[in-house]
Amino acid sequence: MPLDPSAVARFLEPLARESGEIADVFVERRQEIRLEWRDGAVGQTRRTATEGLAVRWRRGGSERICAVSRADEAGLREASRQLQAALGRGIVPIRSAAPPAGDEWRPLSGERWRKRLEATLSRHAPRHELRWTLADVDREIYPARAPAAVSARRLTSLEGTFIAPSRRGDETRRFSFHGPESETLADELREALVRAAEPRDAAVPCPEGDADVLLAAGCAAVLFHEILVHPLEGGAVSPLSGLSEARVAVPELEVRDDAARLDLFGGYECDDEGIRPRPVKLLDAGRIAGRLTSRDAAAPAGRDASNGHGRRAEPGDSPLPRGANVVVAPGSASAEEMVRRLEQGLWIDALDGGSVELASGSFRLRFPRARRVRRGRLSDELGPGMLAGEILPVLKRIETGLGREVRAYRPLGWCARGGQILPVQGEAPDVLVRGLAVRGLA
Amino acid sequence: MSRERLIERLEALAPGAWELYSKHGVSREIRHAPRETAETSRTEEGFAARWWDPAPRFAAAGDTAALAEAVERARETPAPGGSCPVWPTGAAAVPQTSSMAADESPPELHDELARLVAAESRGEATLTELTVRRGRTVERVVNAAGLDVGWGASALTGFASAVGRRGTRACEARMSFRWDGAPELATLARRLSDRATLPLSDRSAAVDRGDWLLEPSVGAALLAGLAPLFCRETTARWPARGGLLAPEVTIVDDAGPDAPFDGEGTRTRRVVVFEKGGLSLPLRDLDAARRDRAFSTGNGVRRSYRTPPRLGARRLFFETGRPAPPRELLAAVRRGLFASALTAPWRCDLENDRYEAEFTGIAVIAGRAQGPVAAARSRGRLSELLRRITALAPSGETFPSPEPVLGATLLAERVPFD
Repeated sequence: MPLDPSAVARFLEPLARESGEIADVFVERRQEIRLEWRDGAVGQTRRTATEGLAVRWRRGGSERICAVSRADEAGLREASRQLQAALGRGIVPIRSAAPPAGDEWRPLSGERWRKRLEATLSRHAPRHELRWTLADVDREIYPARAPAAVSARRLTSLEGTFIAPSRRGDETRRFSFHGPESETLADELREALVRAAEPRDAAVPCPEGDADVLLAAGCAAVLFHEILVHPLEGGAVSPLSGLSEARVAVPELEVRDDAARLDLFGGYECDDEGIRPRPVKLLDAGRIAGRLTSRDAAAPAGRDASNGHGRRAEPGDSPLPRGANVVVAPGSASAEEMVRRLEQGLWIDALDGGSVELASGSFRLRFPRARRVRRGRLSDELGPGMLAGEILPVLKRIETGLGREVRAYRPLGWCARGGQILPVQGEAPDVLVRGLAVRGLA
Repeated sequence: MSRERLIERLEALAPGAWELYSKHGVSREIRHAPRETAETSRTEEGFAARWWDPAPRFAAAGDTAALAEAVERARETPAPGGSCPVWPTGAAAVPQTSSMAADESPPELHDELARLVAAESRGEATLTELTVRRGRTVERVVNAAGLDVGWGASALTGFASAVGRRGTRACEARMSFRWDGAPELATLARRLSDRATLPLSDRSAAVDRGDWLLEPSVGAALLAGLAPLFCRETTARWPARGGLLAPEVTIVDDAGPDAPFDGEGTRTRRVVVFEKGGLSLPLRDLDAARRDRAFSTGNGVRRSYRTPPRLGARRLFFETGRPAPPRELLAAVRRGLFASALTAPWRCDLENDRYEAEFTGIAVIAGRAQGPVAAARSRGRLSELLRRITALAPSGETFPSPEPVLGATLLAERVPFD
C-alpha cells in the first residue's frame, strides 16, 4: 500500500529546506517466485516477499541514507528519525510502530508459467537443471517538492544448464534468458531454447591472435554495453571523457540507451529518483552525443537535467547514473551479406560475460562458442574464448554496413557496478569489427 | 502474526519437518569517491522458513506476517516429495538485538590510505574510492526437533579502488577487504599500488617456465577456486589420484572465529578437507548429510535470509607443519615470477582439471627482484600446479571470496608461463 504523500512531505520538509538540497524517500516491495527445475520436475519452490524504505539527503558532494527493511509509515518514521538525528535537524518524535499489516501484497502466481515451462522443457530440453524466477517489483519514489512517482515491473528469468545432443554425443550447454513478462515472452523463450538445443559439430579449440569478428544475433549489445554505456555513465572517467561530439566511429553507427523500452529487461517507467527516463543518444552518426545522468550527476543544472538514469539495486544503495537498455540502430545488410563481408574470421552469436576497465579503456567479452568463417562461409565449430580490445581503437574498427535485422539479446540480463547489480538488456543488428584480440579458453 | 503462531502453522503444515531462521542486521558505511562522501546506515530484519510437506519449500520475508503469507503461497505450486534432513538439536542463548551506537561508525581511513597509496606508488597511483562498512548481525535458528540457537557476528569490510597513471596510460585496481582486527592499511595500499602500477610497465614475462611465488591474495584466490572440490557434491575425479600437495600441507575449513553455528544451526567445527596429498573429509550441510547418512560438518552457508542455505566452505585456510617466512620463499626462487595481483579472476575448471591465472608481478632471479612484469599468464593442469607447490607461509589475512578465505604465500616450482 503506497505511503501517504502528505505524511512523506512532512518528514522530508526539514531535510530539503535549503537550496541545493536533495531529499527523497524510496520504497521497494519485491515478491519473487523461484522454481528449481530438474529433468522436468520442480524441486524446491521458493517464495520471497521483502520490502524496504530509504530516506536520502544530499547536498553537493555529501550524501546520507538511512534504510530500514519495512515499507510503511513506521519505517518512514524510523528512517527519517535516524537521518534527522545524523544531520542535527528537528527530530521526529518516537511513536510505537504499528504492527505490519502483512496483507498488502499484490497477487503473484507462477502457475501459468509452470505449466508452459513443463511442456516446453519436456519437449525441447528434457534433461536440465534450470532456475526459473518471476520477480514482481513495485517502487515508489517521493522526492521533496515534487510529485511522487510509482513504477511496477514483472521480470522473468530462466538460467542454468541442459543436456543437448551434438554430433560427438551429449553435451552440457548453458542457457540464460531474461525478459519482462508479456503475452509473447513464453513463445520467445521456447524459440530461444529450440535454437540453443540445435545439434552442433564437435568444437575445436579457438585460435589465438587478432581476428575479424562478426557479432550476430543481437550479441553486439554486450559489446556496446561495455564500450559505450559504462564509459558514458555520468561521473565515469574513461577514454571517452572530454570527447563530446568527437567522431569516434563510422557515421552509420547510432547507439542510444533507452530505459523507456519496457519490452526489454532493463526498462522502467521512472528511475529511482522519480524521473521519467528519456532515450539518450550515446553515439549519433558516429559522434559522442550524450551521457547518462542522474539528479546528482546532472548537477548543478538540477532535476530537469537528469535524463532519468539514477538507479539503485536496493533501498539502502546510493542512486548512480547507470545504463538500462542499449539499442543499436539497424543498417541495411542481410545476415548472409554480413558473413560474406567478413570473408575470414569468427562468427559469434553468444556472449556470456563482459567487463571494462574504464581508466585504461580495455575491455573483455567472453563467448561460449563461435564459428569460423572461411571464404565468406560458416565452417568449423569453435570452443569458448575471449575477445579483448580497447574502446577507442575498437570503435574505429567497426565496419560500415550493419545488419538490417535488430534482435533483442535476451541472455544479457544483469550488470554489476560498485557492488550494485541491476537489470539491463539491449538489442543490436549484426556488427562487424576488424582486428579484435581473440584468445581460446580451456 | 507472532513468531509462536508461525511456528504452530509450520508444525501443522509439515510435522517435524520445518526450520525457521531469522536475522537482524545493522550496518554503517562510509564511502569516499572523487568529490563525494556518502554515509549510509541500514537496519535489516528478515525471516525465512524451510519445510517439507513432503515437497521441499522455502519462503522468506521481512516480517512474520509477510512470511506467513509467503508460506501459504509457496504451497500453491505442486511439486514432488523430498526427504527432510535430520535436524540438529540443542540450545544457545540468543544475543540481544540492538541498534548501532554512534561510536560504532566505521573508522575514517580515506586520507591515510590515500597517502599510503601515493607513497607506495611514488605518486603514480591515486586512491579513487574507498568504502568501509561496519556491520553487526544476530541470527537465530529454530527447528522442529527443538533446536533454538542464536549467535552474533560483526565485521569490518569494504572495497577500495585506485588508478595508476604513467604518461598517457592508466590502469585501475579494485580490491575488497575484510579486517578481523585492526585495519591493515599498509598492506592494502601496497596491493592497490602494485595492481594499479605494475601493469603499466612495458615488460612481459621473460620466462616460459620457472618458480612461481604467489602473494597471499593470489594464494587465497587459488584456494577459493578450489573450494567446491571440498564439498560433498564434487564430481571431479582427478583429486582421488592423490599426491597433490606436500604431505605436511593440509587445508582446513573452520569458521569458529566467525560464528559458533552455520546457517542451519549446526555447530561449527574444524574440518580437515585436504591432507597427506589428497582429499579428506568432505564438507556437508544437512542435505548432504542426509544423502550420505552421515553428520553435517556445519557447512550450510546462508548468504542472505532471502536464499536457502547451500553447501559451501565457510573459512578455508592452509596449514603446514613447516611454515617458512615469506622472505625465505622469495630467497628460494631461482628464476621465476612473483604474482603480486591477479588481473582477471582466477579460472578453475575443477571438472576438467584445468586452471588459468592472469597476473601482474615482478620477475625474480636468484631471490632478487629484477623488475616489473606487466602481464603474465599461467595455465595448465590444476593437479600439476598443486603437486608443484613446495612451500607456503600462511599470512593470517582474511579475503572475502565471498566466504572468508585466509591467504598464504605459496611457492610452486617449474610452472609454465605465457
